[in-house]
Amino acid sequence: MSGGVDSSVAAALLQAQGHEVVGLTMRLYDAGVGHGQRRGGSCCSPAEVDLARDVCAQLGLPHYVVDERERFAQAVIEPFADDYAAGRTPNPCTRCNQHVKFAPLLARVRALGFDALATGHYARNQGGALLRAVDASKDQSYFLFAMGPDALAHTQFPLGTWTKAEVRAHAATLGLPNADAPDSQELCFVPGDDHGEVVAARLQARAQDLAALGPGDVVDVAGTVVGRHDGIHRVTVGQRRGLHLGGGDRRYVLRVIPSSRTIVVGSASEASVSRVRVAELQRLALPDGRHRFDVQLRHRAAATPAWVEVDGALATVELDTPVHGVAPGQAAVFYDGARVRGGGWITA
Amino acid sequence: MIDFDRNATAPLRPEALAAMSDALAQPWANPASVHRAGQRARARLEQARRGIAAALDNGDGALVFTSGGTESDALAILGMARGLRAAGRSCGVACSAIEHPAVTESVAMLRREGFTCVALPIDRAGRLQPDAVAAAVAATPALGVVSFTAAHHELGNTVDVAAMTAAIRAAAPTVLIHVDAVQAAGKLPLSRLRWDVDALSISSHKLGGPVGIGALALAQHVPLLPLHGGGAQQRGRRPGTEPLVLAIGFDAAVQAAIVAAPREHAAMRASGQRLRAGLQALGAELVGDAEQHVGNTALVRWPGVDGHTLVIALDLAGFACSTGAACSTGVVEPSRVLRALGYDADAARGAVRLSLGPDHRDEHVDALLEALPPILARVRAATAAGQVAS
Repeated sequence: MSGGVDSSVAAALLQAQGHEVVGLTMRLYDAGVGHGQRRGGSCCSPAEVDLARDVCAQLGLPHYVVDERERFAQAVIEPFADDYAAGRTPNPCTRCNQHVKFAPLLARVRALGFDALATGHYARNQGGALLRAVDASKDQSYFLFAMGPDALAHTQFPLGTWTKAEVRAHAATLGLPNADAPDSQELCFVPGDDHGEVVAARLQARAQDLAALGPGDVVDVAGTVVGRHDGIHRVTVGQRRGLHLGGGDRRYVLRVIPSSRTIVVGSASEASVSRVRVAELQRLALPDGRHRFDVQLRHRAAATPAWVEVDGALATVELDTPVHGVAPGQAAVFYDGARVRGGGWITA
Repeated sequence: MIDFDRNATAPLRPEALAAMSDALAQPWANPASVHRAGQRARARLEQARRGIAAALDNGDGALVFTSGGTESDALAILGMARGLRAAGRSCGVACSAIEHPAVTESVAMLRREGFTCVALPIDRAGRLQPDAVAAAVAATPALGVVSFTAAHHELGNTVDVAAMTAAIRAAAPTVLIHVDAVQAAGKLPLSRLRWDVDALSISSHKLGGPVGIGALALAQHVPLLPLHGGGAQQRGRRPGTEPLVLAIGFDAAVQAAIVAAPREHAAMRASGQRLRAGLQALGAELVGDAEQHVGNTALVRWPGVDGHTLVIALDLAGFACSTGAACSTGVVEPSRVLRALGYDADAARGAVRLSLGPDHRDEHVDALLEALPPILARVRAATAAGQVAS
């Protein structure tokens, strides 16, 4: 339980169904992991831990805090910094779901003598099949593809058939203190949405040289210098805003070249790709071979029809229509209708 | 729910409840007021103060009411060190790394303020040896304050306070000695005079009084600066209106604890012994001094078992215990005490503290020992899966 309205209502629903429910909140990081002061609360900050505790007290559920700071740092925050420093765009929510949120928590759940783990994610688990949530605007199945079939077999998503509006209304009916709390938008450990600061702080903590990240040149596809940047870790492939390139045509980040600290920009058509390579494949129901899937390449992006060639831990995606903003490090998730069949990490 | 967390707090003694219920119903004035109603309140407050001071064998010393054990320790450490410095005397501070955070964090504050702070040596069982302590004290001429614990809150180790004090005095005759007796009070006979200490801390709720009050017994000559400004209450040592009803309850609990102590402590030692033997039979490693201990406390670890998960599992099974000192955030750090004893961070996460009260019976201990094996097996399996830090 994060302290947010979703996991709170999920707990209340299971309790109302007659289950024996215990609230667990993971403490994932210390305030100031990135820089000095946190602005506002986000998931699993100490204030949110208190809120989860309050909700459980109101529902009459036992509540415990489990310390996953070390695991979260190793599995999520440090790779996050590595990715940006290497010109990739990390997907920390999926990494957290893959390495922190499910398997370790499930182990604890079993240690405590319980059968299942439930979360407030908007997704559905239909007999071991991971499906998109009914509320498409809140669907989080994209972040869950890597949780693994074993974890999925013991996990419930009570909100999968609910809309966010219904969840809020139910929370208000129950009188939960977080019924009107704003949705968390930013990454929980990145205060003020300034990921560059977090990356710089982590690299500095490891005594790595920030000069390797910039300043450097911004070039077009012909290699002409069109601007300067103050660090490759501050940009994301597909990004348009904040490049400070002056007027003219819209330009997007096409590639980041860490070895020369160079950022390559280009037009929307130059930024579009139709072939995507995927590695570290995670399979939920995904045999080798050539499949017809809808492939989602970013959170909140529409899935695009594609042919997917699956071969061991690798896959090649041929999109029916080119898509721009395909960033190495992001997840490519394969949907068969509403069902997640698997996915992996975009390498190129 | 069977409570094996009595070092965290103890149930209110009926004598304290009765005395406070009585006192709450009366219209007390402010004990500092000049008028006769104030005088009545003051007289009652001083009666409680004398009662507690006598129980601590405080002689002609002062007894300062505080908000509890933490404030008593902080007032002793900070107040004496700063008082010595103001008097132009040696004011360095020495304590071991396994003292309660009320002591170690106060010492850390002093270090940041520029005071000389040194660590007293402990062995792998957390024992303070008088000669080793005396040698450390003799080696630091700037020392003004030495602090140690009579009965350790996590390990249960006890110190022969009089022998320790004699060794320290021989090494450094002018040094002020503070003893944290928060966990000893109500379990061991206390005597500030016989122990020959300059300051002694106790807490009300650990011995069955109300939460929110404690005391610091002080020798007359001790220079002490208050922790905060305010009125002249308690001779300026602890400004603020004294909590009369809490003091009445505290006194009642202290008197009841003294009367009951021999019987209660014998009972605690007996069930504590049963508990220790039973835990060892289940493969537990008992941490701390196997000989000199307070009897009611067992700090145990099972290799390959995550202590925090075990505490949660035991709670859900109806047994309350802790991984060490209670922590407000709910997050459990590796035990500071175990780290100081030389355990690595993983091992230091494995410890569980079980502490008994005088009302524990064999059947309570047996119920825990019976419930433990399947729970241990589950937690061990989860830990072995590499999923839970061990």
